[in-house]
Amino acid sequence: MSFDQLLTAPQYSLPQREKEQLLLQELNALTARHDANCREYSKLLEVTGSAKTAETIEEVPYLPVGLFKSHALRSIPPENVFKTMTSSGTTGQQVSQIFLDRETAMRQTAALGNIIGHVIGRERLPMILIETSALLKDRKRFSARAAGLLGMMNFGRQHFYALDENMELDETGLRSFLERFGERPFLMFGFTFMVWQYLYQNLLGKNFDLSNGILLHSGGWKKLQEMAVSNDEFKRRFKAETGLHRIYNFYGMVEQVGSVYVEGEDGYLYPPNFADVIVRDPVTLEPAPVGTPGVIQVLSILPLSYPGHSILTEDLGIVHGVDDSTCGRKGKRFSVVGRVPKTELRGCSDVHASQVA
Amino acid sequence: MTVTQIVPRQEQVDLDALLQRLSDPQTRAVPFSDAILDFCARFSTALFRDPEARRYPELQALAFWMRKSELTRIKAEFESLQSETTLLMPRGLVFHVPPSNVDTIFIYSWILSVISGNTNIIRVSDRAAEASAVICRIFNAAIAESDPSVGQNTAMLRYGREREITASISAVADVRVIWGGDATVNTIRSIPLPPHGQELTFPDRYALAVLNADAYLKLEPADRQALAGKFYNDTFWFDQMACSSPRVVIWVGRQESCERASTVFYDELESEVSRKQYALATGPRLNKLTFAYRAILDQPVTRFRQAGPECAVLTLEEVSNLDREHCGGGLLFQAYAKELNEIAPLIIRRDQTLTHFGFTRDELRNLARLLNGRGIDRIVPVGHALNFNRFWDGYDLLREFTRTVYIQS
Repeated sequence: MSFDQLLTAPQYSLPQREKEQLLLQELNALTARHDANCREYSKLLEVTGSAKTAETIEEVPYLPVGLFKSHALRSIPPENVFKTMTSSGTTGQQVSQIFLDRETAMRQTAALGNIIGHVIGRERLPMILIETSALLKDRKRFSARAAGLLGMMNFGRQHFYALDENMELDETGLRSFLERFGERPFLMFGFTFMVWQYLYQNLLGKNFDLSNGILLHSGGWKKLQEMAVSNDEFKRRFKAETGLHRIYNFYGMVEQVGSVYVEGEDGYLYPPNFADVIVRDPVTLEPAPVGTPGVIQVLSILPLSYPGHSILTEDLGIVHGVDDSTCGRKGKRFSVVGRVPKTELRGCSDVHASQVA
Repeated sequence: MTVTQIVPRQEQVDLDALLQRLSDPQTRAVPFSDAILDFCARFSTALFRDPEARRYPELQALAFWMRKSELTRIKAEFESLQSETTLLMPRGLVFHVPPSNVDTIFIYSWILSVISGNTNIIRVSDRAAEASAVICRIFNAAIAESDPSVGQNTAMLRYGREREITASISAVADVRVIWGGDATVNTIRSIPLPPHGQELTFPDRYALAVLNADAYLKLEPADRQALAGKFYNDTFWFDQMACSSPRVVIWVGRQESCERASTVFYDELESEVSRKQYALATGPRLNKLTFAYRAILDQPVTRFRQAGPECAVLTLEEVSNLDREHCGGGLLFQAYAKELNEIAPLIIRRDQTLTHFGFTRDELRNLARLLNGRGIDRIVPVGHALNFNRFWDGYDLLREFTRTVYIQS
């Protein structure tokens, strides 16, 4: 009952207290489920002495996200694995492996549909993918980028890949797409950096009208921060150049596909009904007060097939407020500050090394 | 070929000319010459006084070890190594290859080498740490004020991975000293030395602590606190990344004593860590948590305890199984043993330092005999893990940096 309730209630409509009550039951049920079905998870709970039944969502035990890179954590027999997702990573880097059964995959799809539907409406819109079609040629390997793209493609129709294999913008194709669909709302999706680098940079001075577009983008700000492009700047420049003004950044990860945190009109990120974030103090890992930066923990009631319902990420964020949104959303209002820097221990004393955040 | 010299002066130098000068026996000093002892004292004082150097506890420890009275003691030890029929003479040119993240430990071996009369070349990598820049500055200032012969004895060169430079130096080196990871040691080892050349390697090592549970429980609270302070220094000073910093603690005694002692010990350690305001950056802290969770899945860990935010303790089911992977930054494995000698089968060649508390000299010597060379080069009290002396990694450096000349009259 509760899962359906969380899924079908209008997104962002639940006040935090009420939502936590609903989430808590589901999360405790998931802890019990994974405890019973995933040997590794069960050992971790036992050895760390974690509470199997949490009294608050903050007490729900979490796994460090890096564990999904080193260990194949599954709560289902291998024959029930329907799809294996891997995180993106450069060669040589370990990638996360996430095992999905049909039910979990369906939950993810349904969940994503509800969130995205909230932003774009129920109608499938013509869609520009700021991607190359080459990405999906290998259907067996679901990299995070391909999985993200596939997930989002469901929300559009008449898909147009704006980039060729060399990441060059297909200007002619884009013009004809806009001639055909540009007068009515259309959807756009891409990874933040690619949208900026391969779309925006190549549109400059060319008078493309994207004012009816709805852009959803994700993937992190690291590269844009290096170029000193903030979210505000990103929006401002797009609007000035193309008229595009419905731009939604979202935060999500392969370890919890389906639970995406989409930006509201006020520029903050909001957890959907069936997920939440807890920002933890970087030193004590206790929940951090509102307004204080810390390490982001993500909670989601979607994962049935792997013990990923509560994950401590390596991202830093801030909860700015609760139930106080100016754009009509309930729940936590937060932002992602960036990745936790990978400081190397040098073997010298840097006891006073600067604290992140 | 020209190379960048950073000590005794920052300048470009011709490598061939430098090698010719440093391998000339004329350039060598007499062991424990006044000029060199005088330089060391000057260097030590400068390290103590320099405001920047004072920020690095490892430089302060170095300064302490190099102070005049300590060097006088080493001189006496050196003299006692000689006899009616033997004299110790410098070997010649010693080539030091410190780890790329230059911690300061190579300075110790350099001092012992220079003080024994050798000439020295030190290779500093492009990625040298901040502390080494401080050292070079102070070093150069001290050299400028010292007898000119001292500046002739040593050159520190900065270069990257150029094999050619390493090969040219190695070809004339009488001793080569390699610090660093196993991979570095293997790479450099493949470059030939002269036939008589001698090699000292300091590869990746591991350290353990043994604590007598009953002896610990008998300590007064103040002594428990003092012990925690010493253990803290051993472990946290270099973020537990020093080879000799303990990574596993073995309690010796009855199970019940071990459990009680361990509980109190980590409480004390937690207080000490917080008193010292030890704080890792967030990245290594999360890395440590991930490492701990992985260890729980991969090793026979029965309990995970967080002794404050900075110290993680993983109890192993038995002492026999020890994976030596480590993340550093304040993570301790622990296990219980009934007898000290039970740890012997656990020890491998990689194990360097065993810090101890609550055992007699005989017990420790018996353990060393029982080990019969399996591993462990240093058995020192808790609090002394990082104290460098001439005995390191199984070498007696005063002997390694000298040749024994036999004289029968």
